[in-house]
Amino acid sequence: MGLAYRYTFQRRLPYLLLAPSVIVLLALISYPLAFALRNSFWFWNLQMGPAPLYYSGLDNYRMVFQVTPFAVALKNTLLLGFLGTFAQFWFGMGIALLLHTHLRGMGLMRAALIMPTTLAPVVAGFLFRYLLEPKGGLLPWLLAGIGFPVPPQGFLGNANTALFSIGLVDTWQWTPFFAIVLYAGLLSINEEIKEAAQVDGATQWRMFWSITLPLLRPIAAFLVMIRFMQLFNSFDLVFVLTSGGPGTASRTLSFNLYREGLVNYNIGTTAAMTWIVVIIVSVIINLYLFFIYRKREW
Amino acid sequence: MSKQGISRRDFLKVGGAASAALAGASPLGSLARVAAQGDTAINVLTVGDPWDLALQSVTDQFTEATGITVNIESLGYTALQARLVNAFLTQSADADVIAVDQMWISQYADNGWIRSLDDFISMDSDANFDDFVPECLYSLSTWRNSVWTLPIASYAQGIMYRTDLFEAAGIDPLPSSVADAGMWTWEDYFGILEQINGVDLDGTSMYGTTVIGAQPVPVVHMYSQLSASYGTRWFTQFPEAPWDFTPTINSDANLAALNDWKRLYELSPPESINYLWFDAGTRFSQGDIGMFYHWTPYFYLVNNEGYLTGTPSPVVDKFETAVLPTLTAGGDQVVSLGGWSLGMPSTSANQEAAWQFIKWATGSEAQKAMGEVNVKGYQFADFSRQSNYDDADLNAIYPFLGTQLEMMKLGDGKVVRPPAPIYTSLEGVYGLQINQAMSGQVSSEQALGTTQTLFENILRGNQMIPYGVDSFDDTLENTKALQASLSGM
Amino acid sequence: MRRWGRRDKIAIYALMALVMIFFLGPIFWFILLAFRHPSEAYTLPPQLFFEPYLGNFGDTFVDPGNNAPQLLSSVIVSSGATLLSLPFALAAAYALSRFAVRGKEFIMNWYISLLIAPPIVFVIPYFILMSRIGWAGTYQAMIVTLQTLAIPFSVWLLKSFMDEVPLDLEEAAWVDGAGRFAAFIRIIIPLALPGIIVTSMFTFVFSWNNVIFPLALSKQSTTTLPVGTISFFASTGVYWGHIAATAVVAMLPPMIIFLLLGRYVVRGLTFGAVKG
Repeated sequence: MGLAYRYTFQRRLPYLLLAPSVIVLLALISYPLAFALRNSFWFWNLQMGPAPLYYSGLDNYRMVFQVTPFAVALKNTLLLGFLGTFAQFWFGMGIALLLHTHLRGMGLMRAALIMPTTLAPVVAGFLFRYLLEPKGGLLPWLLAGIGFPVPPQGFLGNANTALFSIGLVDTWQWTPFFAIVLYAGLLSINEEIKEAAQVDGATQWRMFWSITLPLLRPIAAFLVMIRFMQLFNSFDLVFVLTSGGPGTASRTLSFNLYREGLVNYNIGTTAAMTWIVVIIVSVIINLYLFFIYRKREW
Repeated sequence: MSKQGISRRDFLKVGGAASAALAGASPLGSLARVAAQGDTAINVLTVGDPWDLALQSVTDQFTEATGITVNIESLGYTALQARLVNAFLTQSADADVIAVDQMWISQYADNGWIRSLDDFISMDSDANFDDFVPECLYSLSTWRNSVWTLPIASYAQGIMYRTDLFEAAGIDPLPSSVADAGMWTWEDYFGILEQINGVDLDGTSMYGTTVIGAQPVPVVHMYSQLSASYGTRWFTQFPEAPWDFTPTINSDANLAALNDWKRLYELSPPESINYLWFDAGTRFSQGDIGMFYHWTPYFYLVNNEGYLTGTPSPVVDKFETAVLPTLTAGGDQVVSLGGWSLGMPSTSANQEAAWQFIKWATGSEAQKAMGEVNVKGYQFADFSRQSNYDDADLNAIYPFLGTQLEMMKLGDGKVVRPPAPIYTSLEGVYGLQINQAMSGQVSSEQALGTTQTLFENILRGNQMIPYGVDSFDDTLENTKALQASLSGM
Repeated sequence: MRRWGRRDKIAIYALMALVMIFFLGPIFWFILLAFRHPSEAYTLPPQLFFEPYLGNFGDTFVDPGNNAPQLLSSVIVSSGATLLSLPFALAAAYALSRFAVRGKEFIMNWYISLLIAPPIVFVIPYFILMSRIGWAGTYQAMIVTLQTLAIPFSVWLLKSFMDEVPLDLEEAAWVDGAGRFAAFIRIIIPLALPGIIVTSMFTFVFSWNNVIFPLALSKQSTTTLPVGTISFFASTGVYWGHIAATAVVAMLPPMIIFLLLGRYVVRGLTFGAVKG
C-alpha cells in the first residue's frame, strides 16, 4: 500500500463514514418534502379518488388560509412555545437551585424527579385528562376546595384555559428536564469564581445574575431551542387532551396537519400546509441561531 | 396510481366500470362449494361500537353452521378509516368483510373499493331482503341505485326522560308513539326543560338536559337532529336529482335551530361543551339529567352506569323513552338515521364466504341472537329488520322497540347528514363553528355565515360546485323500488 | 460549600416537598387508577385506600388481552429502530469525533435540525409511500421511518462519548501497527461501550414513547402500546381502568431504563451537549 494511497484514503475516510447516515437521512426526508412540494400543486383528495386528479396551481395554498383555521393555530402554536419554554426554564431553574443546596436527600429527589419526563406524551396526556375531568377529577376538586375559580366547563373545556392547560401539562412533564440539566450546569461552575465574588461582598442575588446565569448561557440556549421546537411540534398532548377544542381554542399547526391529512385525507391541502410549516420552522430556527450563536460556537 | 390529469368524471367512469366488471363476473356459481369446504377463513374488520361485542359473542354460531372460520379485528373509528383507506390505496386484500360508516359509502362505491351486493341479493332468496326497514337501507346502504352494504346496526334518535322527576314536577308523560304526538313540539320540549332545570330531586339538583358539545363530529351528530327538525337542508338540491351542492346552511331555519341549540346548552351542565357521545349517556345514567335526546343505542346503554362496568345505573326503571317533537304541531319530521353496515372490498378473495357472513350477520336470526347477548348488561337493540321489531322476545327485553321503529320510519340519513363524498371535511368545519357559537366565541349569525363560506370554498375546491358528474335521483321511493326488484317482487 | 441555617433548611425542604408532590403525585394517582374498579374511577372525596382490583390488567393483557400483542410490537419496533440506527450512527460519530471534517458544524446542526423538525410533516407522505410500496402497517415501515429521529440522536450522543476516549490510546495502537479499523474495533468500541449502551437505551426509550409514527403507519396487529391506549376512547365510553392499566405498563420500561441510566440522564436528554 503506497503512502499516497494511504493518505488519500485517510482523507476520504471520514466522508465515507458519514456518507451512509447522511444518505439514509437525506433519502428519508427528501421524499416527504419532494412529495409535499409536488402535490401541493395538485388536486388530490382521497375522499374523491385514490390518485391526484389535476394540476391546481396555488389552490391548495389558498385552501390552507381559507378553509383551515391557520391563523389561530399559528398563534396558539407560538403562544404555547414561548410561554411553555419560559415557564419551564424558570421553574426548572428554581428547582435546580434547590437541588444545588446539596442538603441530605437531594440526590434521591433528583433521581425521582425525572419520572414525568420519561413518560410518553400521550400517557402524560391521559394522566391529566383524568386528573382534570370536570366531574370527579382530582384537580378541580382540590382547587375548588381551596377556593380557586374552576371554570364550569372544566379546564380543558373552557376556551380561555384549554391551551393554558396543555401548556401546564407540558410544563409538568418537562420542568424536571430543565431542573436536572441546569443543576448539572450549576455543578460545572467553578466554585472559586463564586467564592472570589463572595469575598468581594456580592449578594447571593447579584452573584446569581452576574455570574451563575451568564455561565449557564450556553446550556440554556441549547435547552431553550430544543424545548421551544418540541412545544412548537405539540401534537400528542393536543390530540389526547382537547382535540384542539373548544372551538379552535387549542388548535396547533401540527393538529391542523393531522386533521387535514389523516382525517379529511386531503393530501393536496396537507402538502401545501406542510411547506408553509416547513418555511415557518426554518425561519424561526435560523433567526434563533443567528441571534444566539452569532458570537459563539458550541 | 400514476394516472394524472384525468378528470374527475373520467375517474368515476373508470371506478364505475371496474366495479361493474367485478359485479358482472357471476359470483354465485361456487356457493355450494363454499358450504362444503371446511377450511375457508375470512377476515372481518369492525369498529369498537356496542354491536361489535354482540356480534363477536355469536359468531361461533356462524362457524358451526357453515364451517367458515371468522377472524374479527375490531378497531377504533379513526384507525378503521385509516386502515381501509390504506388497504384500498394498495389494493391489498387483507379483509373480506368490513364495517362501513354510512358516510363512507359514496366514496367507497364511486372509487370501486367495495363491490355492489345487488347480484348476491337477487340470486340468494335466503337474504330475506324485503324484511329490511327501507329507511335503514336508504340511509346506510344504497348509493346510485345499488346496494353496497347491508345494515348491521341502525341508529335513530329519540328522547330519554326521568319519570320520577316528571311525576314530582307534575308533568304528563311524553308520547311514546307518533300517533299520540300530534301536539308535541320543540317549544313544549324547551318549556319542560325550563321547568325542570334546577329542580331538586331527592337531594340532587337536576340539570334540564345535556348536549353533546365536543367538536367537530360529536356536536354535529346531535345538533343536526335539531337542525333537520327545524327544516335545515345542507345543499340546494340533494339527494333528489339534479344535484346542486350550493350550500344552504346559512338559512333562517338553521339560525333558529342554532339559537335554540344555545338555549339547550344553557340548560345543560357547562362541561357538556366537551362531551362526546358516551359522556352524555353516562351523565344521564348518573342521575342528574332530566331529559335529553340521543342515538337510540342509549335507550339500553344508560341502564349501565358506564359502558361494560356491569353496574346498573341509578336511573334503571326511572326513565322512559319518547318520540322526538316537531317544529310545529303535527308538522313534518326528519329523524337522523345513522349506523354501521357490512360491505365487501372488491379485492376480497373469498367473496362467496364473505357474502355468507354478511347475509348471516345482518339476518334476522343472528340479529336476534345479538340482541339476546347479556354480558354486563344487554348490548344490542339496533335492529334494521321488521321481523326483529315484531319479535316478542326482543320486545320483552327492549320495551322501547316500538318507539325506536317509529323514529326509524321517519329517518332520513341522506338529509340530516348528507353523505356527499367530502362530508368529513364539511363536518369538520361545521362542528367547529357550532362549538364556537356555544362557547360564545362567535355569534350564531357569524358561525353560520362562516360555515356557509367555508362550505362553498371546500365544495368549489373539490369540484362539487358546479357538479360535473351525473346525478342520481336518490329518493326513498327509488330505494324501495330497488328493494322490491332485488327481492324478486 | 455553604452552610444552611435551621430555618433555611426547613424552608428548602418544604419547597422541595411541594415540588415532589407536584411532579410525582399525578403519576402515583394514575397508578392507583389502574387498580381501581371501573365504577370507582371518579369517587370523590378521593379514596386513598381501597380494595385493589386486578381486572383492568386482566382485561387488557390476559383475557381478552388485546394489548398483550401491542407490548410485543412496542419491543420489536423500539429494538428494531435502535439496532438499525447503531451502525450508521457509530460510523458517523467516529468520523465527527476523530477527523477534521469540513463543515463539521454544519453537519452537526443538520442532524439536530432533523431532531426538532415537526414529525407530522413527514408522517403523511410516509403514509402514502408505505401504502405504495406495500409496507403499510408493517414493522419495517415504523422502524425505517423512526431513523429520522434515531440516527441524528445517536450520532450526537455517541460523538460525545467518543470525544472522551483519549486519542493517545488509539495512536498507540496505530504505532503497534494496527490499522484505523482495527484500532476502532480494539480501542474505541470497548472504551465507548458504556456510551454505546447508554445511547441504545435512550434510542429505545424515544422510539418506545413515539406515538405519531405508529399512529399513522401501523395496523391493528403491529400497533404499539402507547397507541393502543388511545383506542380506549371508543364511541361507547372511556375505559379509564383499561387506559390506566395499559398506560402503566407502557410507562414502566422508560422509567426503569431512566433509573438504570442514573448519571447519564442529563447527557442523554441533551443529546450529549451537556455532560452532566
